[in-house]
Amino acid sequence: MALVELRGVFKSFRKGDETITPLDNIDLDIHAGEFVSLMGPSGTGKSTLLNLVSGIDRPDSGTITVDGTEVNKLSRSKLADWRAANLGYIFQTHNLIPVLTAYENVELPTLLLKLSAAQRRQRVELALEAVGLSNRADHYPRQLSGGQEQRVGIARAIVAHPKVVVADEPTGSLDAETSEQVQVLLQRLNKELNITMLMVTHDSNVASIASRQLMLDRGKFLEAIRS
Amino acid sequence: MIGYVLKTVWRHRTRTLLTVTGAAVAMFVFCLVGSVQEGLNRLTTGNDADRTLIVFQENRFCPTTSRLPEDYSHKIKDIPGVRDVMPIQVWTNNCRASLDIVVFNGASPAQIQKSRPIELTSGSWQQFASQRDAAIVGRNIANRRGLKIGDQFTIGEISVKIAGVFKSKVPSEENLIYTSLAFLQFTRGLDAAGLVTQHEVLLTADADPDRVATEIDAALRAGAVATKTRRKGAFQASTLSDLVDLIGFAHWLGFACVGLVLSLVATTTVMSVEDRIKEYAVLQVIGVRPMRAMRLVLAESTTLCLIGGAVGTAMALAALSLGGFAIGAEGATIAFRPSLALAGYGLIVSLVVGIVAGTAPAIQAATVPIVDALRRT
Repeated sequence: MALVELRGVFKSFRKGDETITPLDNIDLDIHAGEFVSLMGPSGTGKSTLLNLVSGIDRPDSGTITVDGTEVNKLSRSKLADWRAANLGYIFQTHNLIPVLTAYENVELPTLLLKLSAAQRRQRVELALEAVGLSNRADHYPRQLSGGQEQRVGIARAIVAHPKVVVADEPTGSLDAETSEQVQVLLQRLNKELNITMLMVTHDSNVASIASRQLMLDRGKFLEAIRS
Repeated sequence: MIGYVLKTVWRHRTRTLLTVTGAAVAMFVFCLVGSVQEGLNRLTTGNDADRTLIVFQENRFCPTTSRLPEDYSHKIKDIPGVRDVMPIQVWTNNCRASLDIVVFNGASPAQIQKSRPIELTSGSWQQFASQRDAAIVGRNIANRRGLKIGDQFTIGEISVKIAGVFKSKVPSEENLIYTSLAFLQFTRGLDAAGLVTQHEVLLTADADPDRVATEIDAALRAGAVATKTRRKGAFQASTLSDLVDLIGFAHWLGFACVGLVLSLVATTTVMSVEDRIKEYAVLQVIGVRPMRAMRLVLAESTTLCLIGGAVGTAMALAALSLGGFAIGAEGATIAFRPSLALAGYGLIVSLVVGIVAGTAPAIQAATVPIVDALRRT
């Protein structure tokens, strides 16, 4: 059984007089430990799909099941609990909390879990170590480079040991060299920690680090570029 | 997550400082107004106000116009229910409303010591009783006028030597200066030999104050001067009736201050949530429940309000404690005193205002459409 299952997922919204259908009866299976990239032109529903899997948006119809939980049926509060325990989200623009240090940003998701202070500290230190930022733990986001901020964002996404990590254009706001470092990091996390990943990108080079690449256009998967 | 709230408050220092300052100033005024209201309530209620009668000349208001024979005290004392009578000559520097009113009460030193709820904090009763121009002063007026033992205090035609400073359970007492009755009666300009301004009547435990008051006025009806006897609280409320209206109006000023804090903190919190709406969306993506996001905003607005309220309340209590402020008219005074009740009231109002001010932005933070908020730059 797949870790993430989408069945008949349909999503549309109105923009003025026009009805846009970013996802049109989509089916998708992602297995545990897989690294799936999702490509496609702008506005084709990549981020919408990511948001549906994350439970921060709801489909008009269809079902989204993650590790046996039908997330589209959960209430907003239950979804928050579910995300805290099962999902890591890597944003394009890092979205770190500016008043918190790198350590405190990474610690945030662990505050929502039933962990002792020692367990929290251990997890945060391991996550920062995994992204190579142990020496920047006390720095505030404004004191970090773009690449370092993104690595803190990645540490925050993995610190709660989620079942799935979703990444929305994780290298979209980085220069080429930093983007390369982040790609290596994501690949390493997938292989070494066996984290299941779903990544949206418009860059084919970035998409190529995934074990499976999908192309989305006008609400449908065009083809599996590589599996 | 309370750490997140405190760090947010601390690390947005400019916003915090401005909001806290505004709230502190408004709560400072609120507490000052509250102390006036408390002072008035203390003056018109309580045992001293209820169980003591004041015999005053009928249809007279300012102390200088009430001139009762001193020997009325003997007739009053014979009335059933009367425990003791203290003839008092009152002199005030100002019959109109004033923030720096000076009121002298001339009475028998022995009776003052026996019947007034006062306790000397410094000085001696003996000097007060034996020296003709000696006076004991309430600590409120001593603070306000900078008076200490041994000082010669002169105002108008009156000049006294300070023999003691006293405190009292009845705050308005602390605005008074006591001298001997004879000293005040023979002060130049008063021309009050054998006359007093009022008789203060202490009742037995089982006496009905209103019945005794009626009997006193009836007994003295045939005397040289007709009297009007009332409970001390009612007498003071009547004497200060103009001020009571003003204090009632000032009460609205207090509510306006609460409104000001509410508006200030609500505006700050709304702007803060607007500015950080993406942050609240990110928190929810991480797994923060909507209700918890709501509590975070409420905690922030309440923290700001409580800090401002605590600072303003503390400043007001300090000012009231050090300033010895009082307002008075026609010889009656209202003391502005700090109190635990006032401090508690100030903090409770701050807490409630903080919660109310944060409610709308808290709901906004909790119900924000996450996807839309994340799209904001």
